[in-house]
Amino acid sequence: MTPEPVKTKLKLAVYWGAACGGCCVSVLDTHEKLLDIVAAADLVFWPIAMDIKYKDVENMPDQSIDLTLFNGAVRNSENKHMAEVLRKKTKILVAYGSCAYMGGIPGLANFFSKPEIFNRVYLETESTNNPEKTVPVEEFTVPEGTLEIPRMFNDVLPLNKVVDVDYYIPGCPPQSERLIDVFTLVAKGAELPPKGSVVGANDKTNCDECKRKKSDNKLLKKIYRPWEIQDDKETCFIEQGVICMGPATRSGCGVRCVEGNSPCRGCYGPPPGASDPGAKMMAAIGTMIDANKPEEIDEIIESIVDPAGLFYRFSLPGSILGRKVL
Amino acid sequence: MEEPRIGVYICWCGTNIAKMVDVEAVAKEVSTLPNVVLANNYKYMCSDPGQDLIIKDIRVHNLNRVVVAACSPRIHELTFRNACEKAGINPYFFEMANIREQDSWVHTDRTEATKKAIDLVIAAIRRVRYHEALQKRSVNVDPATLVLGGGISGMTAALEIANAGKQVYLIEKEDHLGGQVVKFDLTFPHLSSAQQMIRPMITRVENHPNIRVFLNCAIRDVSGYIGNFKSTLQYNGAGTIELEFGNIIAAVGLKPFDPSAIEEYGYKKFPDVITSLEFEDMLRAGKILTKYGKEPRNVAIIHCVGSRNRKYHEYCSRVCCMVALKFVHQIRAGLTDANIFEIYADMRAYGKGHEEFYALTTHKQIIFLMYDQQKKLPVIREALRDDNCNMLIEMDELLSGQSIEVPVDMVILMVNMEAHENVKEVVRAIGVSLCGNQFFIEKHPKLDPVATTTGGVYIVGSCQGPKDIPDSVAQARAAAARILASIAQGSVPIEVTTATVNESLCCGCQTCIRVCPYSAVSFDEAKKVSVVNEVLCKGCGTCGGCCPTGAITCKHFTDRQILSEIEGIMSMSY
Amino acid sequence: MNFSPTIVAFLCNWCAYTGADLAGTSRLHYAPNIRIIRIMCSGRIEPTFILKAFKEGADGVLICGCHPGDCHYQEGNYKCLRRFKLLEKFVAQMGIEKERLKLEWISASEGKQFAELVNEMTKTILRLGPSKVKKTLEVEPVN
Repeated sequence: MTPEPVKTKLKLAVYWGAACGGCCVSVLDTHEKLLDIVAAADLVFWPIAMDIKYKDVENMPDQSIDLTLFNGAVRNSENKHMAEVLRKKTKILVAYGSCAYMGGIPGLANFFSKPEIFNRVYLETESTNNPEKTVPVEEFTVPEGTLEIPRMFNDVLPLNKVVDVDYYIPGCPPQSERLIDVFTLVAKGAELPPKGSVVGANDKTNCDECKRKKSDNKLLKKIYRPWEIQDDKETCFIEQGVICMGPATRSGCGVRCVEGNSPCRGCYGPPPGASDPGAKMMAAIGTMIDANKPEEIDEIIESIVDPAGLFYRFSLPGSILGRKVL
Repeated sequence: MEEPRIGVYICWCGTNIAKMVDVEAVAKEVSTLPNVVLANNYKYMCSDPGQDLIIKDIRVHNLNRVVVAACSPRIHELTFRNACEKAGINPYFFEMANIREQDSWVHTDRTEATKKAIDLVIAAIRRVRYHEALQKRSVNVDPATLVLGGGISGMTAALEIANAGKQVYLIEKEDHLGGQVVKFDLTFPHLSSAQQMIRPMITRVENHPNIRVFLNCAIRDVSGYIGNFKSTLQYNGAGTIELEFGNIIAAVGLKPFDPSAIEEYGYKKFPDVITSLEFEDMLRAGKILTKYGKEPRNVAIIHCVGSRNRKYHEYCSRVCCMVALKFVHQIRAGLTDANIFEIYADMRAYGKGHEEFYALTTHKQIIFLMYDQQKKLPVIREALRDDNCNMLIEMDELLSGQSIEVPVDMVILMVNMEAHENVKEVVRAIGVSLCGNQFFIEKHPKLDPVATTTGGVYIVGSCQGPKDIPDSVAQARAAAARILASIAQGSVPIEVTTATVNESLCCGCQTCIRVCPYSAVSFDEAKKVSVVNEVLCKGCGTCGGCCPTGAITCKHFTDRQILSEIEGIMSMSY
Repeated sequence: MNFSPTIVAFLCNWCAYTGADLAGTSRLHYAPNIRIIRIMCSGRIEPTFILKAFKEGADGVLICGCHPGDCHYQEGNYKCLRRFKLLEKFVAQMGIEKERLKLEWISASEGKQFAELVNEMTKTILRLGPSKVKKTLEVEPVN
């Protein structure tokens, strides 16, 4: 009996930039399917789970990694460096999760400048006791030599602002089922969608899959914070006066937040017809304000205490403006 | 998308553009941009040779996009679109840059004006790359016409159309036809009888087989669009009828201003202070008498009552000076010995025969007294026993420079003509606009005074602005001719740059449904997507501006086209 | 280097753009820093356009439509106003001076008012200085 030719296993890497770890957990959340992934692929680099060093990755031949899931945003020189290294070493580089795709929650730091952040974190927080005003510096010389830590950038960036990205899998974190779908495609060697596509998500936005009842009564006489209403659990949130990012957010997550009676906050990012979901959602919500006199409009808008944070919770760095003006 | 091959043309417009914009530099600057096949400049692009240049270049150089930098697109966009069509490319593969009305004519620094022109041309080039072929569409025209207003304008238009064999529905909010003219005795400048003019016209209208008259009827709601309007009317208190018609003429006229607001004139306080229209009543009755039944020995006519005055109406009511002069003749004819005082601010005798009529009037032994509207109005007060008259008018007389008292037994106030109370409902129903003075706005004040920007709706007579009978009649016949032409053609072109919904992107949020003022957007419950009725859609883009997914495409004003235009404008700035 | 601002303006075809044309036919003079984009109705204008203009380096953005009640398409200008007010709040949060974004109603007969508006806004922008938006977005991550 002729032995079966040994199938070379895919080489898979998972790396994190400015991340919370949730995306790595989502890989684990594939539960028993993780065994299938490991059967089909060799994990060559995954800081949260394996002790492979940067040097080892830098020494890998170019394009030797088949698939890298880069999660987390690019926030410092270390993130940028590894993004560039992984780009060189990888055939298919995927921006995995909202942070790598759009900047994500860390992206909210783009409302501040680096000095402002340092001041707050190291000097001004109420529980900090730092009379010498010690702050991190990139280089510090001690008798034994010079110590270096990565340089923190002023801006949080989505992955594609520093390297060429092949695909985007959105979500905070992406739904594990979607990851399995994508991984299976790659493992099978199936024809992949055009470079730059968003995968693991649908073209339509969440309203298409949302089970709540919708009507044309999209008029906002008053806007409420989610905790200010007695949610009837059946009617569209917007029609109850609560802003939900569903209309401007790609579906594919199963509309889980709304199923859990919480309005969508947009972690899956924009649909194909829009590049800046915050701007599109502002266009929609703005139009819905049910008043024509400037003072009356202002009164209704007052309830939206933080438009930037609400409409750009996950997408600020990747949005048109990208960050607050310095 | 096929590779764009763009031909760019910078127009000199003689010296209109060229003297402030370096047109050759602009052409040179843009000629090297991606997708630009050629960039030329020419003296008059809108001329036949100019257009032929475009047509030839399209054919010879295989152009599929054209940019012309010249005057405002509101002037010649159609001209050049037609040229493109003649040459065999879709007319919507064309874009204009406005470097005349919005550049060379408004700036004084040649460098800045040229820089701006370059930016605008680059913007047009970037935009036109994303233009798409759009097909012309047309709809049928219902041969019936709705005329609002049964005055001389409305009736003239109605008769013109009805005589041509087409159905007219004439609605009038009062209980009789005739408008203002039916209240007149004689007309200026020939002192011909108004009654002999209007009464036979009323009879012809009432008896015409093609005209249906609805009295006590005011317009409430009109639905539909050019060639295909529908309205349910209530008339004579009880009757209801649903009418379908292809065109609308608004001939709702004006009404006299109520001078009670002007304290100086004591209207309603003094019984013998009357308005011009009240005086016409008296003239038609045949006797000029005070409220005491006596012939007045002193009659004053005050001009500009409610006109040319910031407190009431700023505009000039145009006809009142001539009416006042007409009154002078009629008073002199009826009261040979009476003292007649013409108290005027200016004398406006602008029309055919008017100046001659004015000259004639000065021979009627009357006294002309001039006052300054901006300084002080004449004040009418009660006379004392010794004054030998009913009232006294105190005024600062400009020609003599003296403050005088004028003895009068009767004062005729030449009141201004203003819009009717219900004019806002009318415009809302038929979809046109009012200017600051509440006159209907014409499509173009010089070149298209009877059409409006709403297809199928025309405006005639004094509702467009105060005017006399000859001008009203001229407009009425003009609008009638336009309507008969569109009926003869049978169909009219409608909006091409409408909105469409991409069903594969629409999430069914229904944000757009209530946003459309024409009810052109509806929700398909089966497919769970929005749908635009492109016949009703007027292409405003409001639905596109509110769509959170970008599923709505506003043809010719797509996100991509506008964003490219923005990029083009800013491309040279850094 | 002398600062010459660029103001990107969105004008609706029926009122504002016509009013701007009227300023031209009347040969009124105004500052040359404005660049006009024509749309059919101010109701078409959405935040994406305005943010894009700022991102591309515009020092100011001006929106002009028909006066309330006079919109050629009935109510498009009201929708524009509503979106504008929300966008105003957002733009302020993003550190862009509120004078850089302006909404003004211009009718077809208000050529003079348009010229005055442009001159005034240009003066304001000159006083504010160049917009920092484009510089802030230089991608090379800077300290």
